[in-house]
Amino acid sequence: MIAKEKQALEAYSRGEMTALELRRRLGGATYGEVLRLLSEEGLPLPRAPTAGREEQIARARAWMFPKHVA
Amino acid sequence: MSRDLKLFVVDTGPLITLAAAQSLDYLLFINVDVIIPDAVLHEATFDAARLGAQDIIEWVKAHRASIEIAPTKVYEIFDAARSTIPNLREPDLGERAAVEVIEEPDRLHGNERGLLLCEETAVLKRVVVRDRDRIVELSTLDFLRILEAEQRIQSAEQVFELAAQAGRTASRVEKLREHNEGARIAIRGLVKRREPSSER
Repeated sequence: MIAKEKQALEAYSRGEMTALELRRRLGGATYGEVLRLLSEEGLPLPRAPTAGREEQIARARAWMFPKHVA
Repeated sequence: MSRDLKLFVVDTGPLITLAAAQSLDYLLFINVDVIIPDAVLHEATFDAARLGAQDIIEWVKAHRASIEIAPTKVYEIFDAARSTIPNLREPDLGERAAVEVIEEPDRLHGNERGLLLCEETAVLKRVVVRDRDRIVELSTLDFLRILEAEQRIQSAEQVFELAAQAGRTASRVEKLREHNEGARIAIRGLVKRREPSSER
């Protein structure tokens, strides 16, 4: 993997780049290949930040499990 | 399904991550219809040797009553083009198909609501969400954390760790390229064209 590709992979892992953009930069890699490359480089899967989305996540939870609706 | 909720899997990330972690069934834990655009299924499975691809096809086949593979014009055109250009690739095919499905005016009826499961908020930026009160987007990890909070699964993080572990050993399955055509045929078989007169 060339340095540019690794930088892109690291940026994706930090949540600073979309998977689609990363896949383009990796020459049309599939998401499965992205997962493999992350593992090979010892990088974590990106975690979508929950800050600012608490309300919508709570709403989704209430829809998924209606008993929690107040 | 009994509830007025639909789960749209709008990019390949959730399918591949969950397949790699042998956890696809978690998508069925909330007992709602699961809708996967045909091109998203294609992207996740077009090469049967890819991580999770075979598991995804088998999982969809095993749960046809709960899973709809939504046909799209985008994929129909792509599939037709592939008959003359077999190696044709369109990296954003799944994304465009997802946008098409989400924007179909008859996707949500009455009081129905939709969860959009994806890794890519970029997909959603392209969608004109008609009613934000009825549609919520979630990442795979959001979805898993809700299941964890509801004590339906042990640990969301463990699923991600299992997926990462599978990624480390993925090279061992890259020997099945001859199955590509089989995967394509399987997808065709799974796609049910929506006939306007027979909907619902």
